Amino acid sequence: MQNWINAYSAMNLRFLFKGLLVTLEISIVSVILSMIFGSILGIVRYTKIPWLSEIVGFIIDIIRNLPLLLIIFFVYFGLPSLGFKPDTIVAAIFAMTVFESMMIAEIIRSGIGAVNRGQLEASRAVGMKYYQAMWHVILPQAYKNMIPALVSQLISLIKDTSLATIIVTPELMQHAQVIYGQNANYIVPMYLALAVLYFIVCYSLSIISRIIDRKMA
Amino acid sequence: MSMIEFRKVQKYYGKFHALKDIDLEIDKGETVVLIGPSGSGKSTLARSVNGLETIQSGQLIVNGRDIADKKTDINRIRTDVGMVFQHFNLYANKDVLENIMIAPRIVLKMNEDENKKNAMALLDQVGLADKAHNMPSQISGGQAQRVAIARSLAMKPRCMLFDEPTSALDPEMIDDVLGVIKYVTSQSDMTSLIVTHEMGFAQEVANRVIFMDDGQILEDDKTDVFFKNPSNERARQFLSKIISH
Ligand SMILES: Nc1ncnc2c1ncn2[C@@H]1O[C@H](COP(=O)(O)OP(=O)(O)O)[C@@H](O)[C@H]1O
Ligand SMILES: [Mg+2]
Repeated sequence: MQNWINAYSAMNLRFLFKGLLVTLEISIVSVILSMIFGSILGIVRYTKIPWLSEIVGFIIDIIRNLPLLLIIFFVYFGLPSLGFKPDTIVAAIFAMTVFESMMIAEIIRSGIGAVNRGQLEASRAVGMKYYQAMWHVILPQAYKNMIPALVSQLISLIKDTSLATIIVTPELMQHAQVIYGQNANYIVPMYLALAVLYFIVCYSLSIISRIIDRKMA
Repeated sequence: MSMIEFRKVQKYYGKFHALKDIDLEIDKGETVVLIGPSGSGKSTLARSVNGLETIQSGQLIVNGRDIADKKTDINRIRTDVGMVFQHFNLYANKDVLENIMIAPRIVLKMNEDENKKNAMALLDQVGLADKAHNMPSQISGGQAQRVAIARSLAMKPRCMLFDEPTSALDPEMIDDVLGVIKYVTSQSDMTSLIVTHEMGFAQEVANRVIFMDDGQILEDDKTDVFFKNPSNERARQFLSKIISH
């Protein structure tokens, strides 16, 4: 019992909380960046620009089929040899963004594909340019349909940030390891704390998504 | 003066020859009805006029500009040519009023007050002023088609293309939509090309009727001549079938 009380000391909890903030920071920045890049890539992929769309599609397929861990290693240990030396948080954000952009690009592409073709024709028929039709008519409908898929991708992104532990990024999982590294009796209490924290963050996201979905329906 | 002129136009979908050697002239202010069996190329012909389909050879002059010419700004032509689709295609993410206002705002850069006044006047004309803030999913098909017509008119087009505007409607809604189209075509400077199976309506509004089959124009007559005595055998068969229904 005493072990559990000590494990959850104010100092340890504060340390865990700091890790949680880094996890959220990595997640939020990666989500924003990968939404932007993923949208651009997804639109390029959908638009079927000669050459470009095929090349983009090829890159997406490659990266999507690599383990995220390998991308993290590559960014952290491989990029320095190319002259770019990211710190651990930047490396984690970089790797997550590369990986998630590809996942989101595929979601966006199929989301745009699911919007009725007549919507684009009606937009073009009144003289809107392609990008105007995309921006004002097609994408708003595509994103609306994609909210569930995007949120579940976002949730797996948050969970995947724990992989950044491997390059000693000071995120939630790594901080928990530091704590139970000092005292093996803290292992189970820390695992429990991790489970609760990841669950709260991810589950509240899925609840929010459900509310948005219902509001917009 | 012609508004639309096809000169030896050929259109292929891959290997499939969809428009064969089309020659057609539609004058400013004219109302032309295009009929023919399903798959004969009516939609393809109409959709070529505003460049939704690209032609492979020949010339297609719309309002003095050659559509097939790479230098032609297709968006400029499209502001002059309105199109009404079988399935309405109202923007599902915008309410009725926004459906009408968006293109004048972003394409014509129309002043917002003028745009709104104009849109409300159009909605009033098609009898739907009270639906301004409904979403497309909240109105009936007949209402949606009338909104779609108002949306096209908001661009102040010189020419309107209607591709089976009533084919997807329940019978009781057809007359309201035809009434609006009739009003549009009655405006003296409006040129209209209408694909329809409503023969009574065609007789009422059309100056000319064109019959297509298998990618070709087989008959092109003044309305009364067409309905009284079409010279083409297939046109005659088609008419007797469609009218006996
Ligand atoms: N996008 C397309 N790709 C291939 N074939 C098409 C396409 N659109 C139409 N067609 C073919 O062209 C022919 C004419 O079609 P369409 O113009 O839609 O006929 P209609 O409107 O008279 O029913 C049909 O045989 C149809 O199958
Ligand atoms: Mg058709």
